[in-house]
Amino acid sequence: MLGRNFPYFNSVGGFYSRENSRRQPGTGYTSKVRVRDKYHIVGFISSGTYGRVYKAVGRNGQGGEFAIKKFKPDKEGDIIQYTGLSQSAIREMALCSELDHANVVQLAEIILEDKCIFMVFEYTEHDLLQIIHHHTQPQRHPIPAAMVRSILFQLLNGLLYLHTNWVLHRDLKPANILVTSSGAIRIGDLGLARLFYKPLNSLFSGDKVVVTIWYRAPELLMGSRHYTPAVDLWAVGCIFAELLSLRPIFKGEEAKMDSKKTVPFQRNQMMKIIDIMGLPHRDNWPGIVHMPEYSQLQSLAMSRAPNHISRTSNLGSWYQNCLKNGGYSVNSSVGTPGDDGFDLLSRLLDYDPTSRITAKEALEHPYFKNGGPISANCFEGFEGKYPHRRITHDDNDIRSGSLPGTKRSGLPDDSLMSRAAKRMKE
Amino acid sequence: MAANYWASTQRKHWLFTRERLAEIRESFKEKDKASHTHFPLPDQRLLNIYFNQQLIKLGKRMSTRQQALATAQVYIKRYYTKNEIRNTNPYLVLTTAFYLACKMEECPQHIRFVVSEARALWPEFIVPDVSKVGECEFSLISEMQAQLIVHHPYRTLSELQPELSLTSDEVALAWSVINDHYLTDLSLLYPPHIIAVMAIIVAVVFKPSSQTAFHGSAAPIAGAMRDGGMNILAALSDKGGAGPPPRIQKLIAWLAESEVDIKAVIESTQELVSLYEVWEQYSEKNCKELLGRMIRSKSLDK
Repeated sequence: MLGRNFPYFNSVGGFYSRENSRRQPGTGYTSKVRVRDKYHIVGFISSGTYGRVYKAVGRNGQGGEFAIKKFKPDKEGDIIQYTGLSQSAIREMALCSELDHANVVQLAEIILEDKCIFMVFEYTEHDLLQIIHHHTQPQRHPIPAAMVRSILFQLLNGLLYLHTNWVLHRDLKPANILVTSSGAIRIGDLGLARLFYKPLNSLFSGDKVVVTIWYRAPELLMGSRHYTPAVDLWAVGCIFAELLSLRPIFKGEEAKMDSKKTVPFQRNQMMKIIDIMGLPHRDNWPGIVHMPEYSQLQSLAMSRAPNHISRTSNLGSWYQNCLKNGGYSVNSSVGTPGDDGFDLLSRLLDYDPTSRITAKEALEHPYFKNGGPISANCFEGFEGKYPHRRITHDDNDIRSGSLPGTKRSGLPDDSLMSRAAKRMKE
Repeated sequence: MAANYWASTQRKHWLFTRERLAEIRESFKEKDKASHTHFPLPDQRLLNIYFNQQLIKLGKRMSTRQQALATAQVYIKRYYTKNEIRNTNPYLVLTTAFYLACKMEECPQHIRFVVSEARALWPEFIVPDVSKVGECEFSLISEMQAQLIVHHPYRTLSELQPELSLTSDEVALAWSVINDHYLTDLSLLYPPHIIAVMAIIVAVVFKPSSQTAFHGSAAPIAGAMRDGGMNILAALSDKGGAGPPPRIQKLIAWLAESEVDIKAVIESTQELVSLYEVWEQYSEKNCKELLGRMIRSKSLDK
């Protein structure tokens, strides 16, 4: 490969700027490690509000595959400036450096270079979103019950580790649950995670909206200010349901913030939950009357014709339908999560956050206790093959400092160079 | 981890022996003897007192909590185990450590606000340009390898309060002893629970009539503390006898039963004693002048 032999070219990254030796006195910052000296960028994985993720392999004998998350720098005009890092980037860096558990994403290193942050993670071939999607193609075929059980067990195990260390994840959803090619579950994306041990400010005050709406716990929808690790367990319940039915269980539409930046009551999402779980009331959620959005809930209940709003839970029939449609049964090859699975699901989707099952209790649940050993490889015994993570090569340029459209003076345009280099290779 | 000191990066990467710390500082000196000769600085502890007072001034105008200031102080200490102070603008490091600690301790302040407040306090040394603090933030995080979660003794103190039935006065005094320990190297030398136990002992054994007498005029207290440390040692080795009053006996019994490293506790008490002794020599003016001269001559503020 070109980049390996020719020191001034990265085969995909374009022109290589040598260390600019303008080491200032004082606190002028120059990274001691350069991303492209250590890693060869293979392709682009995904992008989000935080920035972009690239797939990379180690250079210079450092084996292995990596996912490098590059945080988007703030831009002022055309020039990237140091503007102070976001609190979520700080949290993610600090937590990932501290955490060490088989079911939590593994950080290799963090490189701060040319005004950008590069978090280098181990590479994971799959995630639950991709696995669920795969089971809907070309037609729906269920995820084997044993695999669901292993996924859930590992997920709860990672979550127990986070919670015993006072870390709330706050954004659990299938896309954030990573799966290695050997079937290990890793909880990923700690961008919203934070410590909940006696925070200086109440947990509510920092970020007003938390958790992707479909996985958002009812107490958050009801405006709770004192939320707890229970929010993560609600999300696990939603993920459990989605693994079985291959569809989000509560697929609501998010009401956007109005111009005054007040957080609206998420009426539609709450209704999706009520459709299956029934209307929450004092008996199954004693604290509900103290919830800030309680009056909204009452008006929601009033606005519907009495017959159109369920007072009792329909989760049982939802579950039975789900097993039937998925072909889950004792006699089938996919097996069944059975009654224990239903009991665990209903304990995870408990309206009352104070009685909702904890990660520790969930791991002790009969669903895991009964039915034999659980493999640490969720793919064990699974015949099928999941496609590899899709990597594109449109943007292989992890090049520090500049984003498309920002040219640095004195250097050739990197993107042109990289295209030229590719052509040369071909 | 976050809740578990024993698995933390603080324990793994930021705990030094006295010898190692001395070695690091000596190596800075070796590398740049000229700077050390031309720019003498006060005793490290006196500098720490000065930095702390500046941090308090900065924090006051933004009503910051003590824990964020404590975290900032730890960041500064860690940073200066990796960088010679004479190559930095300490006012910028201080401002940045404060800015970063506020984010980490969940009381974030906007960078513009922090810079304008810092500039109001130290107009000669802080330029009105947020990118300087942004750049210094990279330097801090990189030198600390993003290991930004700090375990403080305050938490152990509040956990032990009911167990040792400490009065609110004792807790308040122990709290201020913990505040003071950031003025020494102790947070780089011992785990937070050792410091908390030390602070409790100081608070219970010395129980000064008024807390205000504690800072500054420390010599008599320092003497009393030295004797007190000995008393505890004596009491621990001689569990019979008439011994100290019941309250202290209870503490001693707890200490004997717990597996707290008594030697470390005594050593940290002594460290605190010597802080109070050296405090006598503290002069804000002197610190300010020496730092100012260094920064200006070396153009560290540019």
